[in-house]
Amino acid sequence: MFDRRLLKNFDFLLLLLTLALCCYGLIVLSSATQGLISSDPLFHVRRQTTWIGIGLAMVLLVISVDYINFYRWSWYFYTLNLVFLGLVLFIGKDVDGTSRWIELRFFDFQPSELAKLIVIITLARLLVDNADRMAGLFDAWPFFLHILPPIGFIFMQPDLGTALVFIVIFFGMLYMAGVPLRNMAIFTAAGMALLPLLWSRLMDYQRMRLLVFINPEMDPLGYGYQLMQSMIAIGSGGIMGKGLYEGTQARLQFLPEQHTDFIFSVLGEELGLIGAVVLLALYFWLIYRILKIGSYSKDSFGALLCTGVATMFTFQILVNIGMTISVMPVTGLPLPFMSYGGSSMMLNMLSIGVVLNVGMRRHKIQF
Amino acid sequence: MDKKMLKRTRFFISLLLLVFLLLCARLAYLQVIQYDSYWTRAEKNRLRILPITAPRGEIFDRNGEQIVTNRPGFTVSLVDLGDGYSDETIAYLTNLLHMEKGEIRDKIRSQYYRRYLPIRLKTDVSMQIVAAIAEKRMELPGVLIEVQPIRNYVYGNFSSHILGYLGEGTVAAWVEDYWQQHDDYRYRIGELVGQAGIEMAWEPFLRGIDGGIQVEINSTGQAIAEFERVDPQPGHDIYLTIDIPLQLAVERALAEAVERLVVDEGNAYAGEAAAVALDPQSGRILAIASIPSYDLNTFHRDFSILEGDRRLRPLVNKTIEEAYPVGSVFKMVTALAALEEGVVSPSDRVYCSGSITRYGATKSCFRGTAHGPLNIVEAITKSCNVFFYEMGLRVGIDSLAHYTREFGFGSPVGLTDIFGERRGVVSSREYKRDVYNEPWYPAETMDAAIGQSFQSITPLQLANYTAMVANGGTHYRPYLVEKIVDSGGEVLKMAEPEILHQLEANPVTWERIQLGMIRAALPGGTAGRLADFPVSIAGKTGTAQAAGSGTSIPSHSLFVAYAPADNPEIALAVFVKHGGTGGTTAVPVARQILEQYFNIMPEDPEEEDITS
Repeated sequence: MFDRRLLKNFDFLLLLLTLALCCYGLIVLSSATQGLISSDPLFHVRRQTTWIGIGLAMVLLVISVDYINFYRWSWYFYTLNLVFLGLVLFIGKDVDGTSRWIELRFFDFQPSELAKLIVIITLARLLVDNADRMAGLFDAWPFFLHILPPIGFIFMQPDLGTALVFIVIFFGMLYMAGVPLRNMAIFTAAGMALLPLLWSRLMDYQRMRLLVFINPEMDPLGYGYQLMQSMIAIGSGGIMGKGLYEGTQARLQFLPEQHTDFIFSVLGEELGLIGAVVLLALYFWLIYRILKIGSYSKDSFGALLCTGVATMFTFQILVNIGMTISVMPVTGLPLPFMSYGGSSMMLNMLSIGVVLNVGMRRHKIQF
Repeated sequence: MDKKMLKRTRFFISLLLLVFLLLCARLAYLQVIQYDSYWTRAEKNRLRILPITAPRGEIFDRNGEQIVTNRPGFTVSLVDLGDGYSDETIAYLTNLLHMEKGEIRDKIRSQYYRRYLPIRLKTDVSMQIVAAIAEKRMELPGVLIEVQPIRNYVYGNFSSHILGYLGEGTVAAWVEDYWQQHDDYRYRIGELVGQAGIEMAWEPFLRGIDGGIQVEINSTGQAIAEFERVDPQPGHDIYLTIDIPLQLAVERALAEAVERLVVDEGNAYAGEAAAVALDPQSGRILAIASIPSYDLNTFHRDFSILEGDRRLRPLVNKTIEEAYPVGSVFKMVTALAALEEGVVSPSDRVYCSGSITRYGATKSCFRGTAHGPLNIVEAITKSCNVFFYEMGLRVGIDSLAHYTREFGFGSPVGLTDIFGERRGVVSSREYKRDVYNEPWYPAETMDAAIGQSFQSITPLQLANYTAMVANGGTHYRPYLVEKIVDSGGEVLKMAEPEILHQLEANPVTWERIQLGMIRAALPGGTAGRLADFPVSIAGKTGTAQAAGSGTSIPSHSLFVAYAPADNPEIALAVFVKHGGTGGTTAVPVARQILEQYFNIMPEDPEEEDITS
């Protein structure tokens, strides 16, 4: 049912911004992975390019189906999501040597990445269905019930960072759907009260990371060391940067995970404040565009989808970049379109596809 | 879109702008205002982490005497100065450390993702190597000498099989799991891990948590400034149940006996021996030794020779990892079965004419001796085969197999403080069917009754069996670790005796069997040469035919005993492979051990003169 009129509303700017970010990511990645595998210096770049290609194909696939169908399939998505997340608890328990992790990565599907988009879709439907019951304090309980199982599963993995992404997406969408800010403040306060319980469920290394964030001196050999090296890298980049492929910190592999979680440190060192601000501007433009598409959408379902995606990107960017400059704890969330990794790249592309879809079908009747 | 939502979108966008401006501000602060300071730090960023290896927990005997400690040793490491490793440096090290070039390359590659850590090339190098490197320091950028604690075995060749050794080998999955659950702390490349004995089974307790220093290094790789330091947490200390003097006596007695056989008697088959001493009231292992043994201080140098000895297999712990024929020490099982099944009364006599013919098979007493009429006590004392052939036939193989298992044979006796316990074999209808696919012949029951059938036992099982006879049928879990103490002196774990099984039998049955064993160690008994021992001993000798052998191959010499007979403190099993009869080899070994245990000076002819 592809309609040529849909093309008229296709947001080429959003696609262009996405591609620009991807290219920027590839350039920084080529520097970050320099010398990582001496026999094939472009190994990571080529793989990442493949994933971008696959991601674009997925965008095409996603936009060819009217997004109203996502509304209809919502519960299938939700069930599938829980099945995947449950499976990963039982069969996906292998994480030791870092090098092996990369080898496996190509085939490694991370259900928690896909879960983000699924939760955005299913929560959007739930919010639309309950649009007339938003104001009361207790009206929100179905929403909490809805996201509790996926968050619980991810928390058990345990992946604290990703679980936090869900909570932030949740709040963003609730706000946009019309839950009063006052209520949200109460939820937050209640959540804080549960923190001690959460703390007791955390793994030792997770507690360590949080404590180190509060006091980096505590662990000068582990995470504190990573943080310090990252800040040295970025700070020494200055306004202009040391030049692409010229970063001394990056060359020495001082930065742990410098092609995944800490790729921003490489960018900050080699391309300086200018490069970093360009990246932030691109991100801002992208998210602004997503919200704009949301505000034009023909129904609140579409608007909520866009809000969810925008919240997700915003939070991940804030946490990832914040972590490299020590304003956020180390959590291991990837930087959208920049970090090396197949699962997150595809998820980001799928999300863009959903937003494009909402934008294309913004008018109920086409003249 | 309604107005309200539009308003909310605007709010969202302002929030977004705020977040991005905040990030920009922070970046500007780091990259503009703090630029100079960070630039200098990056420029001379020669910060490295030098790990400080935590000392492993030490091992003590029951009295707190040191057995295994740590001493400082030198390790040669390689540090990346920012431009990889020069071929000349690697070539020089290959030569100096007698390593393969590929070996060094592999170590470098395995640490590719943590290049800020030094790569440990060789631990515990000699002073000569340290001096050679120190001399050429300027020409060897990045080569580092670290001081690391190295295992030191106070007695060298002592308790080697139970202590175990360390190596760079694989880490067992359960050990990895333990550390990941506890501290998300992993093993590094080249880290030493317990590979056998206590060192392996108690790895999670013995291993400490490494610390480290963040240092600045100069252009040759030497640390010039120290920044941060995390002290290592030492591992926990282990106190064993063994007693050093007794253990030494056991090892010496066995080694001397074996040496006598091999050197003085020219016995080409001898060479292996084992002994276990237990506290029959708790299962505490007082001494446990396996011969031949090895020196832990030179273990890594000797390893290929030790491993290459296929005949004596010095690395095998003969006390638990080997099962041997049992012979006449088995007769208490048959005696218990006969009395409990009521096929003989405590006073019934059986006439021994020196041989017995049943089911077409004629079987005789040891060296054809005719013992005349004997009751069960006398039969144990004299170790009369004919009496027990008769008893075996009366109770039958199934009942005999049942009582054999009751004594803990045929399954591990439950020692978990070190790994590798063998099950051994119980002679039974099922065993013969499963292994040989043949039915059981009644005549074979006669062999089984005197321990000359398919039975095989570990020396630990034998000691446990002796303890059960001594304490009236209680099977305690044997244990080697008395307590675990952390570096602060706090007791983390204290061993408690644990009863695994209780063999229920009539008190009269126990009394008869024990009396037979007491008389065996008196004049006229098979262990009569212990008659002059100042403490009353209950014992039983055994001479087990070597499996499938002709008469020319010496039998195995066995002896089990407990003492004092009226209030047993020690239960002992001695096994000397191809050591001849029980009385000639195993009994004198047991005597030496008991002399040490009861602090009795061996009788010296001269001293006798003075006293008389």
